[in-house]
Amino acid sequence: MMTLDNLLALSGATTLAALLLGQSRVFAWLGGLMYIGQIILLAAMNLPDVASFGFDIFGQTVGWQMDGFGRFFALITLGAALAAIAYTGGEWGDRYVQNGNSRRTLQFALALNVLAMLLLLASKDLIAFFIGWELTSWAGFMLMAQGGDRALRAALRYVPYAMGGAMAVLAGIVLAHTWAGSLDIGVLAGRLPGLANWQIATLLVLFGSGFAVKMGLLPFHLWQAPAYAEAAGAGTGFLAAISSRMGLFGLGLLLIKLLTLSRVADLSFIPGVFDAQDLVAWLAAFTIVLPTFTALKQNDARYLLAWHGIGQSGYMLLGLAMGDPIGTAGGLLHVFNHATYQAALVFSVFAVIHRTGTADLNSLGGLVTRMPLSFLAMLMGIIGLAGLPPMNGFVSKWLVYRSLMIDGHPFLFLMAVLGTLGTILSVYKLIHNTFLGQLRAEHENVKEAPWSMTIPMLALVGLGFLTGVAPGLALHYVAEAQAALGLPVMPYTMGGVQSPRGDLDMIWVVGVLFAGFGVGAILFYGFGNKSKRIHQLDNYAGGHFLSADVRYHYSDNFYAGLMHRIGPLYRSSFTWLESSIASSVDLAASLMQGWYRQVTPALVLLIAAALGLGWTIWR
Amino acid sequence: MIVLVLVLPLLAAFLLPLMPGMLRRLIGPAALLAVAGIGIDLATITFQQPVVLAVGGFLPPLGIVFQADAVSAVMVVAVALLTLLLWPWQGDDASVLDRKQALTLILAAACSGLAVSGDIFNVYVFYELAAVASYGLASGNNAAAKVAAFRYVILGGIGSLLAQVGITLLYFRTGTLNLAHLAELAPHTLYDPLGMSAFLLILLGFGVKAELFLVNTWAPEVYATAETRVSGLLAGLVSKLVLIILVRVLTLIFAMTEAHLAFLVLGMLGTLTGELAAYRARDVRRMLAWSSIGQLGMAFVAFSIPGPAGMAAGLAVALHHLIAKPALFLLAERWGGSLASLTGAARKSPIAAGLFVLFVLSLLGVPPLPGFWAKYLLLTGLAAQPAGLWWLAGAVVLLTTAIEAVYLFRVIGALYTRDDSQESQPAVNVASSGILAVVLVGAGLASPILAAPLDRMAAQLADAPSYVARILPALPMPPDSTMPPPGPVPSPDPMQPPGPTQGVTP
Repeated sequence: MMTLDNLLALSGATTLAALLLGQSRVFAWLGGLMYIGQIILLAAMNLPDVASFGFDIFGQTVGWQMDGFGRFFALITLGAALAAIAYTGGEWGDRYVQNGNSRRTLQFALALNVLAMLLLLASKDLIAFFIGWELTSWAGFMLMAQGGDRALRAALRYVPYAMGGAMAVLAGIVLAHTWAGSLDIGVLAGRLPGLANWQIATLLVLFGSGFAVKMGLLPFHLWQAPAYAEAAGAGTGFLAAISSRMGLFGLGLLLIKLLTLSRVADLSFIPGVFDAQDLVAWLAAFTIVLPTFTALKQNDARYLLAWHGIGQSGYMLLGLAMGDPIGTAGGLLHVFNHATYQAALVFSVFAVIHRTGTADLNSLGGLVTRMPLSFLAMLMGIIGLAGLPPMNGFVSKWLVYRSLMIDGHPFLFLMAVLGTLGTILSVYKLIHNTFLGQLRAEHENVKEAPWSMTIPMLALVGLGFLTGVAPGLALHYVAEAQAALGLPVMPYTMGGVQSPRGDLDMIWVVGVLFAGFGVGAILFYGFGNKSKRIHQLDNYAGGHFLSADVRYHYSDNFYAGLMHRIGPLYRSSFTWLESSIASSVDLAASLMQGWYRQVTPALVLLIAAALGLGWTIWR
Repeated sequence: MIVLVLVLPLLAAFLLPLMPGMLRRLIGPAALLAVAGIGIDLATITFQQPVVLAVGGFLPPLGIVFQADAVSAVMVVAVALLTLLLWPWQGDDASVLDRKQALTLILAAACSGLAVSGDIFNVYVFYELAAVASYGLASGNNAAAKVAAFRYVILGGIGSLLAQVGITLLYFRTGTLNLAHLAELAPHTLYDPLGMSAFLLILLGFGVKAELFLVNTWAPEVYATAETRVSGLLAGLVSKLVLIILVRVLTLIFAMTEAHLAFLVLGMLGTLTGELAAYRARDVRRMLAWSSIGQLGMAFVAFSIPGPAGMAAGLAVALHHLIAKPALFLLAERWGGSLASLTGAARKSPIAAGLFVLFVLSLLGVPPLPGFWAKYLLLTGLAAQPAGLWWLAGAVVLLTTAIEAVYLFRVIGALYTRDDSQESQPAVNVASSGILAVVLVGAGLASPILAAPLDRMAAQLADAPSYVARILPALPMPPDSTMPPPGPVPSPDPMQPPGPTQGVTP
């Protein structure tokens, strides 16, 4: 009953139903139930479960099999889809349709993404993997392109990256087949580590860059922020939560299962000092720092979050690249944790857009009194994003930090902390410019977002809080994923980690934290609470009263002092690289057009024939 | 029976002007349907065992030989069905229509002839017939088309001349024009500079129609200005049949490293130049034309891989392109002009836009569409060869696919961009391309089943000794009959019952 066959069949049925019924707002309920059904099927599945279908082609057996590593990602995928579809059913979806968009296409794209990801996550061999990979890419493109021309343009920028990455993966598959004589992942795991170093390096570069594109790893990250930010709200939530993690899934499979980290570490650039494993870790570290500080400069809340999505994936890869039980557990757990708070943050931002029509951080402010629930979701979300207790983001980051310290990587640790610093600065900018400070006069009558929008985001941050207090709930699936990858499993408890190399019990941490709050509250309310409630527009500064038409909300050029210091460091080198590659291709293309537009084709033909004849004689 | 596949359309072409009323419009399709039927029948026979026909009972190497293996049969079916899909049903006045239909029939006859010819003299005759018919069709009825067609005539004419010189050289060295006989004699007589020159001249000469790099500069303008169905026929069909002929010349006569390398290098350059030129195209039909050059280059690269692996890859690439490119040309019929004018077209004709996306994805090799398997076979074939030029070709294929994705998605982007202006855009006729889409998706779903026949076609195409043995058995035959090939059966399948020992007389 609880089999992979049924899971994929239900997912296919959901896709078909979305295509047929997706235009109706009621479909949100039906689709939601179908996603819940898939979650139940998946969670109750006995692993590993092999699909009964499959086919043989050109000497390869193509089949599907779900293991613990795939299930971990698949559960997050389905959860993200559930949250996203809840968003489409209500007012937001109606407005979306009124603006001339198709709810059917959105629902179909969402369901297709889920199906494609399930196929990818359950692939048993590299052909099945590539089928899933390409379906995921183009279903992702479809979801990115929904919601207007800006979304379409941003999605088109993804195309060269996606296709380039796919071709790199395909080249890797073909070479793996040539060198190891099989495409079955289980067989390859036994054979690939036995290849020569240069072969391992080639496979690492080909597969690695293909997966890095999807993940948004430096230097392949430029497409991601606009593509995710400009998509339709529900789509952005889903994409931000899980889509790019498929790249991480691929990298995990490649680094840990197929090539093995110890073989990767054999590829050394400076013997004993710097090897390929370090290279991966440092790429991850730079992916944490640079996009996070790019996020700091954004003035559009959606872009700010999308850039953080790229940065946070660095923590996940950094943890995985450590290869030890704590680090890999941290990296994997961060996938789940990030999905919960990032989707909540996106939904909160889109709730603000729904009510005010803008995500421009310079034209908002003071919405906390008008949209308290959205504020709460964003507050808990940014606590998670910044990696502070009691939210779950703290747990996974703690594990990654802990692993970096234990394994002796002080400089990587420094980079990770630097990234967190940048995160804290920019999420403060996000919540301050949106919800705190002076309310704008035009937002005087703004109301809280409808329930169809607040419930998904509150449920998500609730889940983030729950798994922050009791990480054991999620660590169960993480341990399963570690075991499926062949990694040593981190010993965990309901409250966190219990190991000789460092304990963490979140139940205690959160208990102490709330006890502290409690003491503070007693002091504040019990002993002379002198606060006075005034209207939000009733401000004064320097002894002068400010009326509503005087702007006194400091948002423009936020962190001016800091930017004065670090501003010159922003060089846009990657953008320059991207555009110079594009113009090189353009130049080559116009040369080729010149060839085809030549005026004397017959002469060229004769010269070619003469030269060819000369060659045959000279040879 | 083999002869019918070229006689029927030819006969129909000549009878067409003499027919009264309704019959005049039906004779062409009827002939093509009959050819399709014969082709299917031929396929059921040839997949078991290829058949040979000595015309008039004159034995090879003296007599004229037609031979049909599985590749020929599939090509004949493709010729008939694709010509039917791209048939000029209506338009213009009656006399112009007559001319178009007759020329199309002659083109189909010539293509069928190319598929089943067993000697290079007949190949040349059918090539010329196809050339003349395609000049007539390409010249169309506007000035730009006429200019483009003129360039095509010049290039094609010089190409024919070169090919003829090459064939003359072959005859000069060997005294025969029978492909099988040439194959037998080649190792002793043709593996020298003169033989190589003959190969090169034939390659460059016939290469004009196969869109081979160096001699394909006519293609973009012709495809952009001719009627889309003509572009579809030329890019989809004629190029493939000439390509197969070149492959037969390669595998039967010139199976030496240099010849394979010539295929490889020219194919690689064709892919690179075609795809790059398409990248800057600002007009859908020119873009498709350049993409077609790129795809043909890929087919040349695939066929350059020695052995059945290369033949399988080449056939897969060629057959896939044969389905995809005509469909794309048909869809682009009303989408001429600059890309900007396509804005919003997806709203006006959503089905056409959807089909366009489908074919683009297959062209790029997105699994599980059949284009992926073609690319997979090509890349695994290249990877199995020693590193060097072969691997470079693999890299070129991968790189140009990424470029292809960018420009084709530029079109898709334009189609799906919203258009606020209310100007009406003509609806696109999706019947023919819809049928091709069904074939494409069907082939994608059935790819595990289709893999075996493909391997069989490839094995027959690559197996030169069996080809020679079945045409030159040096045995007496009953006059004017299809003879069962004695000697070793090509690539026997022990699980299959033996094929029919007696072919069908035409």
